Amino acid sequence: MTNLNIVATSRTPKITFKTKAGTLLIEGESYPEDVTGFYDPVFAAVNDYLKSPDAKLDVDIKLIYFNSSSARALMELLDMMDDAGAKGAKVSIRWYCDGDDDITREFAEDISANIEHISIDIFELTRDD
Amino acid sequence: MDFEKFNKFGSLLLKDEFVLSYSGYASEDILHSMGETLRQRLADHTDDKGKIKHVFSVFVELMQNLIRYGAEGPHPTPKTGSRQAFGLIMVIQNGSSIEVMSGNYVLKDEANDLVNRVNELNDKSADQLRALYREKLRQPPHEGSKGASIGLVEVARRASAPLSCTVEDTNQGYSFFMIKARI
Repeated sequence: MTNLNIVATSRTPKITFKTKAGTLLIEGESYPEDVTGFYDPVFAAVNDYLKSPDAKLDVDIKLIYFNSSSARALMELLDMMDDAGAKGAKVSIRWYCDGDDDITREFAEDISANIEHISIDIFELTRDD
Repeated sequence: MDFEKFNKFGSLLLKDEFVLSYSGYASEDILHSMGETLRQRLADHTDDKGKIKHVFSVFVELMQNLIRYGAEGPHPTPKTGSRQAFGLIMVIQNGSSIEVMSGNYVLKDEANDLVNRVNELNDKSADQLRALYREKLRQPPHEGSKGASIGLVEVARRASAPLSCTVEDTNQGYSFFMIKARI
């Protein structure tokens, strides 16, 4: 099992994946130069963890801005979690969206449109500034 | 270049209230530093965070389109190897709205197709654009060659008016494709 602790940059989010606690946090900005290179290790670690049928995972997504390539990567990640859910894994996603921008919320809804086997809730993100 | 020409270029830009402009070979590094500057400038000009996000997002998507799909145009790099797109991108304050414009070289044959794609987006309602975005999400990045890229769909969704675009032919087999989004 791989734990992840990826530090945020001005264009990539902080990723914290704790296999013992069963938590995944994606937080910050997402418009990486190389989307695949950035999200592949996340996809691989989560996919590996969810292979165990009694796996439990709590996901928090707190993205301020994500570009269209990141949207596609996020959709693939969520679809993979949904497939694991169909096989028995318990995944629960809380997606916090920037309240200043309705379109971002629509994106979150569109990305999660095909989720059937896991729980997903969309909230408004409260910012300190 | 003489100073007169250099100054003329600068004065054309400085007439506008707020401007950010780049002309030359485009890269992800340039996108990143321009994007950060743009956000800062926008935050100094408005408290409307939604608008800042729309402008920033349109800038990122148009710039990434330019980097990915733009051609080198009539002045290719002398060394063979990596292709680097040549383009022009500008963010201009125009009254209460902000315009993001980008221009890049494309092969002459592709130019009309691009214009048609933009026009197709303009004919769609907000709901139709949203449905198209969902569809594009499920298409691998380079397979959706028919129709607009997902990035362009996002630009159309975030713009507050129909997109406009035009093509200028050059005599070297390339066309200069220009697009404008108003937010």
